[in-house]
Amino acid sequence: MKSSQPKPDMSRRKFMALAGGTAGLAAMAAMGLSPEQGECSPNIPAIDVDKMTYAENEADVLVIGGGMAGLFAAVKAHDAGSKVMLVSKGRLGASGQTPFAKGIFAFDSSSEKMTLDEFVATVTRSALGTNNQVYTRQMAEHSLARINELREWGFFESPLYNKNFTKPIKERNIALKERIVITHLIKENGSVAGAAGFSQDEEKILIFKAKSVILCTGAGGFKPNGFPICDLTHDGTVMAYNIGAKVTGKEWNDGHPGRAKNAAACFDGWHGMFERKPGITGVEVHHDLGVDLNYKVYATGNAVKMGPPGAGGREVVAGGPYVPEEFKRRNGPPQGEKGPRGGRPPEREGGAPPPGMGEEPVGGSSAGMAIHKSEGLVPINDKCESNIPGLYAAGDALGSYMAGAIYTQIGSSLAGSAVQGAVAGQSASEYCRGVEMPAISEAKMDEVREEILAPLKRESGYSPAWVTQTLQGIMIPNFIIYIKKERLLKAALAYVEELREHHLPMLRAADLHELRLAFETANMIISAEMKLKASLMRTESRCSHFRLDYPEMDTENWNAWINIYKGSDGSMQFEKQPFDSWPT
Amino acid sequence: MSIEHIKGCIGCGICVQTCPTDVLRQDVKTKKAFIKYPADCQICHLCRMYCPVDAITISPEKSIPVVVSWG
Amino acid sequence: MSTFPERSLLKESLSVVTILAFFQMVGQFFWTRANKSAVAQLTMSKIIKYHKIIGYIVVMVLLIHPFLLVLPRLFESGVAPVDAFVTIITTLHRGVVLGLIAWSLMLALAVMSLVRKRLPMQYKTWRVVHGMLAMVFAIIAAWHVINLGRHSTLVMSLFISMLTGGGVLFLLKTYMLKKKKTSEA
Repeated sequence: MKSSQPKPDMSRRKFMALAGGTAGLAAMAAMGLSPEQGECSPNIPAIDVDKMTYAENEADVLVIGGGMAGLFAAVKAHDAGSKVMLVSKGRLGASGQTPFAKGIFAFDSSSEKMTLDEFVATVTRSALGTNNQVYTRQMAEHSLARINELREWGFFESPLYNKNFTKPIKERNIALKERIVITHLIKENGSVAGAAGFSQDEEKILIFKAKSVILCTGAGGFKPNGFPICDLTHDGTVMAYNIGAKVTGKEWNDGHPGRAKNAAACFDGWHGMFERKPGITGVEVHHDLGVDLNYKVYATGNAVKMGPPGAGGREVVAGGPYVPEEFKRRNGPPQGEKGPRGGRPPEREGGAPPPGMGEEPVGGSSAGMAIHKSEGLVPINDKCESNIPGLYAAGDALGSYMAGAIYTQIGSSLAGSAVQGAVAGQSASEYCRGVEMPAISEAKMDEVREEILAPLKRESGYSPAWVTQTLQGIMIPNFIIYIKKERLLKAALAYVEELREHHLPMLRAADLHELRLAFETANMIISAEMKLKASLMRTESRCSHFRLDYPEMDTENWNAWINIYKGSDGSMQFEKQPFDSWPT
Repeated sequence: MSIEHIKGCIGCGICVQTCPTDVLRQDVKTKKAFIKYPADCQICHLCRMYCPVDAITISPEKSIPVVVSWG
Repeated sequence: MSTFPERSLLKESLSVVTILAFFQMVGQFFWTRANKSAVAQLTMSKIIKYHKIIGYIVVMVLLIHPFLLVLPRLFESGVAPVDAFVTIITTLHRGVVLGLIAWSLMLALAVMSLVRKRLPMQYKTWRVVHGMLAMVFAIIAAWHVINLGRHSTLVMSLFISMLTGGGVLFLLKTYMLKKKKTSEA
């Protein structure tokens, strides 16, 4: 009975601190976090840091990422005459979102009723002007050619892509390094000079010298549950940001829900779609929000059933995100709310609803990810080039706004990655012809090495898994990134800034797996800060960005994209770039 | 648990390479794959689909608590 | 309640058939004159007949065992059966190598039995060769099964070891005793 009362000698302050601590523990327990994990605890290394070896590699064009964009970047840079090396955190064709995308868009002018101009105009209407028409057109224009190449490699014959991705790489003898975590881009004398990272299998740090680097690193999220993007943590974007590249698109959101039962099981939630062979989709432009479903739940509580994307649930709720009349899904066939919208195989279109539909949904299965190809490096032209000379990006790593700030053309995600990969490969190769192999100074290499090893050397610190869970706890619940309002965004921002200031520099790692987690966690924290700040800055609602306090579209002030870059003092800087313009 | 068990592994190492989130590793001595980092499993089944002897069984349950936006 | 998916009926059936075939293959040691008490009521020709029929059947099953492994992939998504098969036989894992050796020995056993009458050796020599080959096969196959078998738990492994060991001892006992007798005579 008396056990809960403070002892007489205990000061009130001490008691409050204890009680607060207990409440905190209770809250953590409720979130499922064990306190031992979170304590700033000693690092017990499982590997000997002093035994780490170093290896240097050299290539004209270094392609980072083994998905659809990386494949074409490597192939086309090679075919344009460059010595190429392809490095991937995972396995070729089995990492990022590529292995789960099953629909690829082809614009076949011989069979489409629409002309290319009409297609671009339709996408632009649906995207409410947020798309970069140059990239929309480029994607459609080259899609068929890329698909024909894929067909030659056997892409459409298997649900697994490793074998058919390996074919063109092997045929060309392109150097391939898998399971390498790239942590740093290296810049010397204002241009990109290579990259550095470590192997997940051997205790080895790798330095890559290259004339040009193409980031095909995809986008990312907060390792959310229900979407197979837990290996995507905005690595490319943050590495590029750190060396001065401009990035964009952080305010947009992919609003996919998951299902309540076993929300984390993406294979089960996607109803076996991962097991299908890929198929080709034709012109079909939508305004697929996902955000509207989030709004409906926000407004009425979760009694919604999963329905067609863009339609949210069954009943109509006043207010909320705007969907242009032309693109409202009314009587269309029920479509999978789940799965990459680009990945819906053609056989499902118009067919019966997939099994398991109508299940009770939960939110945030893709939390932290923007619309395909709306976030990433800012291109300075139609060649996938960034503002850092020699640095290119393609696919979801490039903020090309190919589809706009909303997902428009079904299957264009995979097609866009293929097309942009090829464009970037070609342009990077052309760029290489005019430059010498850059030298990376010893001082730079030492600095990078030390930064890579830092989490392993830290005698105590925070476990990356715990920091990630904390970040998820801040960024995922309460509609923060879906139904935005200033007060809540600022509250989350304060917390995320704390993670960046205090936890990020103290991430520890006991082995190579945890070292990877440490870098991924750091990248997610930076991306979260970008997302919150860009969301605060954009004082309007449009496409997949919905502000409850600014629910209208503001064409006067906001026909512009938001670019983010690192200021000379290291602070996060923001600028507007008018739609239909290139950065200055 | 996400990956429930691995039975009949022949030690080809393909699942280790394939796992997008680095959940699996090969035992140094037996060369067989084992579930080293279960908390990071995203239940995508790629390892199972790539396994030549179909040795991997996966359950839809995540081994750590799941954070969702709303439910 | 178990929440993870059960293996399909086809896969479990193939496993059961393979396991039974393996046990019967080891069981062949016990369907000989070596095991007098078991075959006491049978004539010699009947023993040989049963030994042959059972032998050929289980050898057939075990010869296609490597292919049965990848057969279910035909009916589901995933790696193609041919690719899976190539991966299997090119993996230099101890268990796989043992399996490949056992498979080859088994093939040799079967082929030699089929063409025995055309082999340039006397029946007595043949019997020793067949027995020795069978012995080496059984040991390697058992090792393979214990090392790789999906169903090889500790109890199963012990059972297999005992069964195989018993069979081999039976055989050795027969030969040793025979030799003793001959040397005594």
